[in-house]
Amino acid sequence: MASIDPNKNPQTGMGRPLPKKEADLFKSVIKFYETKMYKKGLKSAEAILKKFPNHGETLAMKGLILNCIGRRAEAHELVKLGLTNDMRSHVCWHVYGLLHRSDRNYNEAIKAYKQALRIDTDNLQILRDLSLLQIQMRDLSGFALTRHTILNLKPNQSLHWLAFALAKHLTGDNEGAVSVIDCYLNTLDANCREKQRGFESSELALYRFEILLETPNMEQAALNYLEKCKDLVVDITSWKFARARCQLTMGYHEDARQSFLSLFRRGSIEDYRVHSGYMCAILHLDKDMCEYSLKLRGGNTVATTLPLNAGQRKILLDAYTNELGAIFPSSAAVARIPLTLMEGEELRQSMDKYCRQNLTRGVPSLAQDLRSLLLVRCDTTNGDKTSSIKKCYAAVKDPVDVKQHPVTLLITELSDSYLQSLISKNTFPGSDIEESPSTLLWTMYFRAKLHALCGEFEEGLEWVEKCIDHTPTCVDIYELKGRLLKLSGDIDEAADCLDYGRNLDLQDRYINNKTAKYLLRANKETVALERISLFTKDEGNLDQHLFSMQCIWYELEVAACYARRGEWGKALKKYTAVEKHFDDFHEDQFDFHSYCIRKVTLRAYVDVLRFEDKIWGHIFYRKAAEGLVKSYLYLHDNPSAASVNADEPKYSEMTAAERKKVKAAARRKKKSAEKESQVKEGADGQSTNNSVVIDEDPAGELFLKRDPLEEANKYTNTLVNNAPDSLSTWILRYDVAIRRKKLLMALQALYKAKAIEPNNTLLFTRIVDFASKCFPDDSCPLSVREVISSQTKSLLGGKTVLEFVCEARNRALEDAKCSLDTRLAIAKTLVSTGAGAPADASVLVLDGGVHVRNATVDNCKEALNYFSDLGLEEEKSKW
Amino acid sequence: GRRGTMGGGKKRLAVEFDQINDENIGQLRVINQACFPVKYTDDFYKEIVAQKSMELSKFAYVNGSVVGAICCRVEPIPGANRNRLYIMTLGVLAAYRSFGVGSQLVESVLDFWEDSNSNKDIETPFQQAMKTVDEIRLHVQTSNKDAMDFYIDKFGFVQGELVQNYYKRIDPPHCFILYKKLR
Repeated sequence: MASIDPNKNPQTGMGRPLPKKEADLFKSVIKFYETKMYKKGLKSAEAILKKFPNHGETLAMKGLILNCIGRRAEAHELVKLGLTNDMRSHVCWHVYGLLHRSDRNYNEAIKAYKQALRIDTDNLQILRDLSLLQIQMRDLSGFALTRHTILNLKPNQSLHWLAFALAKHLTGDNEGAVSVIDCYLNTLDANCREKQRGFESSELALYRFEILLETPNMEQAALNYLEKCKDLVVDITSWKFARARCQLTMGYHEDARQSFLSLFRRGSIEDYRVHSGYMCAILHLDKDMCEYSLKLRGGNTVATTLPLNAGQRKILLDAYTNELGAIFPSSAAVARIPLTLMEGEELRQSMDKYCRQNLTRGVPSLAQDLRSLLLVRCDTTNGDKTSSIKKCYAAVKDPVDVKQHPVTLLITELSDSYLQSLISKNTFPGSDIEESPSTLLWTMYFRAKLHALCGEFEEGLEWVEKCIDHTPTCVDIYELKGRLLKLSGDIDEAADCLDYGRNLDLQDRYINNKTAKYLLRANKETVALERISLFTKDEGNLDQHLFSMQCIWYELEVAACYARRGEWGKALKKYTAVEKHFDDFHEDQFDFHSYCIRKVTLRAYVDVLRFEDKIWGHIFYRKAAEGLVKSYLYLHDNPSAASVNADEPKYSEMTAAERKKVKAAARRKKKSAEKESQVKEGADGQSTNNSVVIDEDPAGELFLKRDPLEEANKYTNTLVNNAPDSLSTWILRYDVAIRRKKLLMALQALYKAKAIEPNNTLLFTRIVDFASKCFPDDSCPLSVREVISSQTKSLLGGKTVLEFVCEARNRALEDAKCSLDTRLAIAKTLVSTGAGAPADASVLVLDGGVHVRNATVDNCKEALNYFSDLGLEEEKSKW
Repeated sequence: GRRGTMGGGKKRLAVEFDQINDENIGQLRVINQACFPVKYTDDFYKEIVAQKSMELSKFAYVNGSVVGAICCRVEPIPGANRNRLYIMTLGVLAAYRSFGVGSQLVESVLDFWEDSNSNKDIETPFQQAMKTVDEIRLHVQTSNKDAMDFYIDKFGFVQGELVQNYYKRIDPPHCFILYKKLR
């Protein structure tokens, strides 16, 4: 840089430094900004600019204020102008950073803050803002550095100690984190408030314990510390669980058992995680097994996941009958868990008692509850990859398997005997106690549900009709009837049935939402919206309301509904809305970064951060992304579907009156939205920035103008990064990569999918697709071609494509229960590869009949259509 | 509405009462459709909802489901400056009859009259009205022996005059007045 005379500030002409009067005005600008008095702030800024029109900091502040009242374009211009006028001002850089931050442009914002700090190294406000962005972006080492600087500047604030300890913890320096906490505690007086028993000291102590427990070989230290801090802790349940967990993983099984018992006594008797811990303690399981078991979720316990031998089962059963059964005679968990341990006659007797109790009480969920007992040994590798222990049981899902499971046979037999006895004498078999008529209702309902689980829809419907005759006011029955109708393929009648049930109790939000969902499945989205609007507050702009309520299930269903109808713009718009929610969830973290440390809820905060790290792997996001990718791929394959006209309301299909109505409604909507926005803007400019969103693209036409393949690729990238354990991620990755002609990427996707589920049907069709279509041309480097041809061979198991397909067919033919999906997929490849004639394909599909796995109305229809397209009309009659 | 329950023999079911309102009026339609041969008009249902109270009209719940309902109103006794309670409908689903549900519904209304007359702290309009009520009555189809036994044997109602051709669409079209003097 050219030499600068240190005595002469080159920016004096621009009003730097400002004279006293203007300097005071500038201070007031900042104050008005901070207190959100934007109009006054603007006035003051303009007063300065009148005298010093080029004053950089004032220009920047004016821009910042304009940004807050929604005038974003002007804001950007002013802030940039300010910065150009005064590159050496930390204020300008700070403002530039804040502007980027409000645009969610975090990396740019971080750069700007760092620039500001180069000019003003010790500016606490900027350091704090920087640290927030660093933790948000998970620049953990940067975060630790910044927190260290802040701590050095202000070591007397406890907040800064805790933030630095947390930073150490997050960067993996657990010992460092603990020593920071200890240093901090040493700076305090022995009698100060922070060291007395209270929420904050309790949380800090438990947080320190958790860090220790996460540190290898520090379990003993963790346990010792736990005993030491006992008097500080107010969250006794957490403390007890922590102690039990620690004792368990250290192998102090008897101590652990006593600790878990004491947790039960404290009120955790229905907590299945505590039950798992208790079982681990009794069985003296090793550390890995214990850690695995304590992470189980839902109704799973050691008994439903680990391979226990008869001896172990007996030990557990004795503990439940003798120890827990005696102390907690009325606990639901203590009654239910033994059912997962018993066999034969013993199981029969307990199951009998359990069912009778639940039917008398009228528990509608009894069938689902028992369904989770339908377990089979499995060897699949899905689940927690970090653990060496694999889940050994899986609940059977397909009706074919449910039907022949011994537990199904047992409960079916029991319920049949109940029905016979209740109908003839209104008592359970062998009992003299007269039942309430509702017992018969719930027993019939239970029987119908069993039929539904076994795929016997007609029989299920017969019992449902009897339920309706018996108690036509019971809403649950209509839900079950709707479900049976849906499963047997009549979605319209199913939706009507739910709607009837809904009408009986308009206060029941569950049945209302369920009705809306069924209506959407039946492609009646207008009625669905009407129904769901009964439970929304904002009557004016329903879609907007559901969006701001982040009603994801609805948005996913409505998007799928539009996709089925080929209204791609609208479908993409709804799917994208879900994606937006996840951005917001991620953004929401900002609320916690400073709050949690101030309130010392450090354990919960670390949980939140870890949860947010995985948020794009959440099932709702995956569903939305899958919908987006599939829709974009369809648009890529069928470019004409993206023509905007196809997406307009179909005015031509409407009558004149309807057309008028629709257009008038659209006009009204627009008008009221405009009015609303005017009202808000008129509110003294004090309202928060751009809170009003006018939907300028109701049909989602903007989405149709994008490059579909690029968009699809964007979402598969997110899935690959965030949901690599899901098979569908890699299937979608393949589908996109193969269209982008990225052969190696496609190949990798096939390998990843194969590692997750080698015999998956979707994967099978893609392997065949890849092997039969992908001959890399000469533009491909030789090395790539070699890799592809050798890897393809290995995917096919050294066979040719034809052999590969034929072998799959033979396997399917030998397995009577091989699913319809698989059969159909193989049949299609038989024909497409020329490995078999259409007749062979037809034999393969028809061979299983409708009693194979996963035979749904939808895929039966698909099969039917496929064969009619092939011209095999006579096959149609066989269905 | 005149289909009653026998109330004898079997065990008495535990019953809970709740208000009939705009949200659950559909259940009353279902109960009435299942219990009575006549169809009630929309005005009937509007009147019940408009009571906005479970003092004279209410559902009976057994184990979470609506299984019966009673609907009454206050009407003037012609020529006297006094009122009477009129039972418009009392219905219990067939599967739940003979478990004392109907009795408990009638008892609850009679108890309400009793309490309102002995209670000095009058709060609601219906409580107020009970002070002017001297009688309770209903119409019952001449063929409905069960209902007549129910009211006469269990609650001491008296068979009153025969009303010819009271019903238009059911056979027999005649009915009796059943009544009970409350004071």
